[in-house]
Amino acid sequence: MDIGKLSLIELAKAISEQKLTSYEVTKYYIERCQEKSDLNALLEIFDDSLDRASEMDEKIKGGFKGKLAGVPVIIKDNILYKGKKASCSSRFLENYVAQYNSTVVQKMLDEGAIIIARANMDEFAMGSSTENSAYGVTKNALDPSRVPGGSSGGSACAVAAGLAPVALGTDTGGSIRQPCSYNGVVGIKPTYGRVSRYGVVAFASSIEQVGPITKNVKDNAYMLSVLAGGSIHDETSLKVEVPDYLSYIKGDIKGLKVGVLKEIEEAVKGLEVEKSYKEAVKFLKDNGAEIVEVSIPDFKLTLPCYYIIAPAEATSNLGRFDGVKYSRRSAEAKDVDEIYVKSRSEGFGKEVKRRIMLGNFVLSSGYFDAYYNKAKKLQQKLIAESKKAFENCDVLVLPTTAGEAFKIGAKGGDPVEMYKEDLFTIMANILGTPALSLPFGKGESGLPLGLQIVADRLNEGLIYNVADFIENNGGDYARV
Amino acid sequence: MSKTKISIEEVKRLAGLSALEFSEEELSAFIPEFEAMLELVDEVKNCDTGEAQLNYTTHLLSECREDEAKESFPQEEILLNSPKTKKGSFCVPKMLD
Repeated sequence: MDIGKLSLIELAKAISEQKLTSYEVTKYYIERCQEKSDLNALLEIFDDSLDRASEMDEKIKGGFKGKLAGVPVIIKDNILYKGKKASCSSRFLENYVAQYNSTVVQKMLDEGAIIIARANMDEFAMGSSTENSAYGVTKNALDPSRVPGGSSGGSACAVAAGLAPVALGTDTGGSIRQPCSYNGVVGIKPTYGRVSRYGVVAFASSIEQVGPITKNVKDNAYMLSVLAGGSIHDETSLKVEVPDYLSYIKGDIKGLKVGVLKEIEEAVKGLEVEKSYKEAVKFLKDNGAEIVEVSIPDFKLTLPCYYIIAPAEATSNLGRFDGVKYSRRSAEAKDVDEIYVKSRSEGFGKEVKRRIMLGNFVLSSGYFDAYYNKAKKLQQKLIAESKKAFENCDVLVLPTTAGEAFKIGAKGGDPVEMYKEDLFTIMANILGTPALSLPFGKGESGLPLGLQIVADRLNEGLIYNVADFIENNGGDYARV
Repeated sequence: MSKTKISIEEVKRLAGLSALEFSEEELSAFIPEFEAMLELVDEVKNCDTGEAQLNYTTHLLSECREDEAKESFPQEEILLNSPKTKKGSFCVPKMLD
């Protein structure tokens, strides 16, 4: 059996039926991780992985059943796995060791997963290219002169390069979907609260989610069924039943109402993605879907709304890094104030500092009402607009990014240009709705572009059905 | 619509609030970057939110767990990541004379 060619679902089945051992599968992927170290997708390969795989083989022989029994998984470096480092690709947390398992890690371990490595990311998940990592940029899996996207660039690159059948990312403004688009893989940002954030280092708590990155849609649906579910440790996680997402995949989209946003028609004009986006709409129509024009009139404001809410929350969340409790303390610091200021100034990278400053600006006295409270009101208005849109359609389709992956360094000098990378993805975070990106079409250099399917809250199943249909019937468009 | 301008004093005030220090050069470089970012977020400041009510939570539904006393983390484990500890506590330089 060619291990690298098996899907996650096939791999899990082969291991559970003892046609393959977890040891040989894990060994294959670890060797692959080592061979592909030039990509800088990973910060660490866990050296006890093979021992854990052997132990799992024994358990499987003894009758253990689990959805991920013996399957290797990679996690983003902001997800806690007890006893392992979790640095958020920051110097500040260089030596931070997780003291407990995040809910998502625990759920995967309960299903028998072998977590083999932690993946590179933009520092504290702030960025769209992985260039903000303190440990060097990750390269795009398809073209090493280009960025892999971000902030889950290491995770998306790892899946695309075949370093694991699945990796976890986190998505605060597009951080799963944009890198998936750039590397030609599939990723979902679930409904806010669908997956517990317990044990995931917080950046913007009210809008972020953990989600799976996989090579195909069915694997993604399979994986989300493992990750989803509430946790008593996360008050914002939803205690609602987790469906078997695979059961929603019917292989048919006849009669499905697909919404196209009037504002997107306008926004894509002249962009590299325009042609493939229009082809996608046509494809859905030709295959029996009903195309409905809908509107979220304030769509364009989702980006600035995000750049108020996210830095404001980041400022609060990163306040805990004070040089006392976590990992780093400046050797220069002589008193308590210096411990705070010097440890933070030495430990955080440029983009993190920029966002802390912006967050403090929008939260500071005199500006709080004008910026932060206004953004929170706008968010409510946008949610109301989206509710209206979803009254007339089942799913929305929109591009994931404006174009294909850009060259490393191309947007380094201009933070606002970089922020615009998330133009199409931020909406789902502001609304709290699920959104998936899958490959569709090619850019000017032949690299993949992404298509997003967005549904109303908790309708991940609908998304998976449409995405799977596109993947299996989209011909060359859906092929990477 | 007038652009929000930011002064070097404002940048210094924000650095103070952020518990961050910058060189004079870094502080000055912040001004144009910051003004560009403010131009972006000013679109929100100037937009019409109509009837929308302020609401800090967007959760679908969430419930609090029962308030029951449970075993927590052992003290020594919690202190493991601290750069300096003493007799089971976080250690900082003397604060009071």
